[in-house]
Amino acid sequence: MSNQKKRNFQIEAFKHRVVVDPKYADKTWQILERAIHQIYNQDASGLSFEELYRNAYNMVLHKFGEKLYTGFIVTMTAHLKEKSKLIEAAQGGSFLEELNKKWNDHNKALEMIRDILMYMDRTYIESTKKTHVHPMGLSLWRDNVVHFTKIHTRLLNTLLDLVQKERTGEVIDRGLMRSVIKMFMDLGESVYQEDFEKPFLDASSEFYKVESQEFIESCDCGDYLKKAEKRLTEEIDRVAHYLDPKSEEKITSVVEKEMIANHMQRLVHMDNSGLVYMLLHDKYEDLGRMYNLFRRVTNGLLTVRDVMTSHLREMGKQLVTDPEKSKDPVEFVQRLLDERDKYDKVISTAFGNDKTFQNALNSSFEYFINLNARSPEFISLFVDDKLRKGIKGIVDVDVEVILDKVMMLFRYLQEKDVFEKYYKQHLAKRLLSGKTVSDDAERSLIVKLKTECGYQFTSKLEGMFTDMKTSEDTMRGFYGSHPELSEGPTLIVQVLTTGSWPTQPAVPCNLPAEVSVLCEKFRSYYLGTHTGRRLTWQTNMGTADIKAVFGKGQKHELNVSTFQMCVLMLFNNADRLSYKEIEQATEIPASDLKRCLQSLACVKGKNVIKKEPMSKDIGEEDSFYVNEKFTSKFYKVKIGTVVAQKETEPEKQETRQRVEEDRKPQIEAAIVRIMKSRKILDHNNIIAEVTKQLQPRFLANPTEIKKRIESLIERDFLERDSTDRKLYRYLA
Amino acid sequence: MGISKDRIKFNVGGRLFETTATTLANAGRDSFFGALFDDGWNLSPQDSVIFVDRNSDCFAVLLDLLRTGDLNVPANIPERLLHREASFYCLLDHVRSARWGPFDGNRLRLSDSVKGTSPGDGTAIRAGPDGGCCVAHGSVVHVYDWMLEEHSPINLDYQRVNDVGWIDSDNIVLSACERLGRGDGGMGLFSSSSGDLRYKFQVSHENQVKSYTAGALSFSPDYEIFASCKGRSNEYGIGVWDQITGKQTDFFYESPGWSLGDADKLQWLNGKSCLLVATLFPRKDNCYISLLDFRDKNMVWSWSDIGSPMAIDEKRVRDAIAMEDSNSICVVNEFEDLGFIDLRMYGGSVRWSSRSKLMKSKMPDEPCYPKLALHEGQLFSSMNDSISVFCGPDWVLTSRLRRSYGGSICDFSIGGDRLFALHSEENVFDVWETPPPPII
Repeated sequence: MSNQKKRNFQIEAFKHRVVVDPKYADKTWQILERAIHQIYNQDASGLSFEELYRNAYNMVLHKFGEKLYTGFIVTMTAHLKEKSKLIEAAQGGSFLEELNKKWNDHNKALEMIRDILMYMDRTYIESTKKTHVHPMGLSLWRDNVVHFTKIHTRLLNTLLDLVQKERTGEVIDRGLMRSVIKMFMDLGESVYQEDFEKPFLDASSEFYKVESQEFIESCDCGDYLKKAEKRLTEEIDRVAHYLDPKSEEKITSVVEKEMIANHMQRLVHMDNSGLVYMLLHDKYEDLGRMYNLFRRVTNGLLTVRDVMTSHLREMGKQLVTDPEKSKDPVEFVQRLLDERDKYDKVISTAFGNDKTFQNALNSSFEYFINLNARSPEFISLFVDDKLRKGIKGIVDVDVEVILDKVMMLFRYLQEKDVFEKYYKQHLAKRLLSGKTVSDDAERSLIVKLKTECGYQFTSKLEGMFTDMKTSEDTMRGFYGSHPELSEGPTLIVQVLTTGSWPTQPAVPCNLPAEVSVLCEKFRSYYLGTHTGRRLTWQTNMGTADIKAVFGKGQKHELNVSTFQMCVLMLFNNADRLSYKEIEQATEIPASDLKRCLQSLACVKGKNVIKKEPMSKDIGEEDSFYVNEKFTSKFYKVKIGTVVAQKETEPEKQETRQRVEEDRKPQIEAAIVRIMKSRKILDHNNIIAEVTKQLQPRFLANPTEIKKRIESLIERDFLERDSTDRKLYRYLA
Repeated sequence: MGISKDRIKFNVGGRLFETTATTLANAGRDSFFGALFDDGWNLSPQDSVIFVDRNSDCFAVLLDLLRTGDLNVPANIPERLLHREASFYCLLDHVRSARWGPFDGNRLRLSDSVKGTSPGDGTAIRAGPDGGCCVAHGSVVHVYDWMLEEHSPINLDYQRVNDVGWIDSDNIVLSACERLGRGDGGMGLFSSSSGDLRYKFQVSHENQVKSYTAGALSFSPDYEIFASCKGRSNEYGIGVWDQITGKQTDFFYESPGWSLGDADKLQWLNGKSCLLVATLFPRKDNCYISLLDFRDKNMVWSWSDIGSPMAIDEKRVRDAIAMEDSNSICVVNEFEDLGFIDLRMYGGSVRWSSRSKLMKSKMPDEPCYPKLALHEGQLFSSMNDSISVFCGPDWVLTSRLRRSYGGSICDFSIGGDRLFALHSEENVFDVWETPPPPII
């Protein structure tokens, strides 16, 4: 290769030159420039639009588009620099007004300049992809006025000062404010956000940080919330009046964060005014305010809910574990109902029926109701109380309301089968003693229980009602077939199906001859109509009405229990009887007899017999005689039995044992059901599934389930897997 | 009746006009008249006359356009002058939309014929979105706007252009042959107004940029560009690029015994989200038509005439077009017989509708292969010097477009409410438009 350099050929492109006056472009531009000046000086009346438009057109046509475009930018920039000096010179309050005035002037001028330069805008700018005249005019304003160092911070500070003034209660010119802020928005979203919104939010954040600190030191929770709410509405109002609607979310979140989120815990836990105080003192309005404000911040409602829940649990725990309160079951349940009503009201009026709060309420009740093992019994007693006497004079609707509320509590119970046991006992007592006030109310509750727990749960209870009904028919049939019995004592028998009723061991006793004859007649009548049945007399559950004439001829009708009747009838043939004699004659078990004698001899005003020696308790050596001086202003006298309304300790143990006993087959049935479908399952899973299946009735104890599994293995229903001892296998 | 207050008087180049502000308001705010009536301008009082230093004949035409919405250009006004004047008043858009109506294949009227300048056969003509078009001849692409003014041509320095396509009214994609050893060819994005290269699309195989020959082009509404590509032996297939980023997003490699990289025609099927790829006789000895699904890289349908009996040899498929509405592909042979293949069946055969064997007798000296196009339910087929229009479910021939000179039609294209037909002789192209709707 030679070291001679390669010659570079350059071929000049052939250019079409438009032959015009070389000064043409400058001359034309001068005309346009002068016009722009005049437009800015508001002296446009003498300008001819057509001439200017034509000149601008010609410049573009003759390829001077570039000159026109840069000329327009340079001229406008110069003008805006001048304007910004004027704005800067404005003192104090007139600063904003001056800025606003100049902004309006600029907009008007820009519009007119665009009119003149429209041809350039539509052709030259389009094809060269430069910035169009209007947006260019706006960005020139932004760069030369808004971002002018001597205006930039001053403008921002002026605006923020005005906002601050308005926050402290002064009245400001909102119209001016709106037009200046509108200017930021017109200049583009980024200008509005960077040059106004962001500093505004920062300043607001600072303001509310200080203010909320001040408030929280000096106000109680209720007042604080009122102030926070007021601030929030003020800010929303401010946005509506002179800010971009998009700012609403941002400024409210600032207020929420500074005034609520940052002080959330302190507010809720404030002594003597916090959430617990509001709940205790029924401050529904404050609670509602708290809910609405806290709802706006993350974890706000969670905090409220947690505090409410722990308060509820604490309160409930005290309520159910307080031995004083447990003394009166009716009062106990009533208190529970009252609390529930109260919190229902709190949630519906203040917490907008929030589902999560309802759930929290339910779980709290479930938690503490089951803390007291006697809750099922108490609830049943409460129902007993209401259905026995309380409902007299109450309208049906009210009964329904009370029963519905009771059902609510019932739902919380984990040991529903215990409730069933007690309910059965109480119902039996009500039915047998004829003290049920309203059959409808009874049935209505049964229907409710049935919908809640299913047919199985109530089948026995319904059986009890059927027995009562058939007994009535049987009695009618009995007396119909024995017309001769209309004279003499009347026997009313209630035939109870074994199993449906809470069974108590039949206590034998010697009935008076008159009665036992009747009983025999009934037995033969009944067995005659129903073959293959067995009748046992439950003398401990019966009652009797006997007529008695006392020493001075006082006649009374005594309403007594069967046992009491047996004792009293003995005095027809004897004036004085010793305890031993009575025991021998009646064969009533000692404990029952003692109770029976106690009620006859020791209750003031109802002591139809007298005891010697006079004392509260019955001794083996005591003797009894008829109280000839017995008086009462009533003809009918009801001699109550001394019975504990609540169960005695051994009785409780017994009920408990029976419940445990009843659970065994249920647990076994559940295990077998599950294993039948799964065939093979490990220990933990089986426990979990059984617990889940039995949940609607009671909470099964894992050790008990384990025992049942062992029992089933013994009986060859299940077997352990030979390799993995934790696995159970179903044996068909 | 009093004198209407919105009466306006103009003196245009010495001729007086009188009109109303209402009429002028039809021009819109972004026009000379819109600006004229802006409050800022101290418009002369009622009786004074506004002087405009422009051509009065054109002003009359444009004023009538604003009055009636119709464009009536007297024979003595050159088109260019009218366009120039309309441009002054910023009324070009008005002229454009008054000029021709919405496209209807059965109402087309020949509006213009533009004489070509380049030597060599025309390769392709493509209608632009706003009524312009571009014509590829050898290595040059001529670009025309809707006024049929020619802009700077795109010159590829002796690389042969295979296909052209419009991305939008300002951007054209060219596919070109690779020249061995030069590493050029491929695809480029060009400005339609200046003819400058804006972007070059690259193909990578195994993360290595390779040179390639790009063939047929197609575009999807999801801003994708498809092109058939040929590189080294194993680099045949269909490339996919993103129109926004310009980056290659996918490549569907050709499988042995099939043809994708040589394809004559690509067509994006929006309803099926598939690409039709057709390689046709005589580029290959056999015809291959397939539908590609790029989402799971699957050829979802294919058809080929390999192994067809020789008896129907004369019925070679020369162009194919998918018709999504009727789930079929329409094909055409060199005698302009239309055939249909059912897309719902795999491996179906062509159902030919032998319309005319008559054509066979008068084949021109320089035959052009027929081409197909589909536009809003109308099927267009070019044959010799005419284009047939078929309509309806049975594709009945409803119109035929023909003019006297220029020879056979080698390509045609529909777009911007116009049909452009490129003739093989003299490189002349015809512009067909639908006239504006009737007065009543």
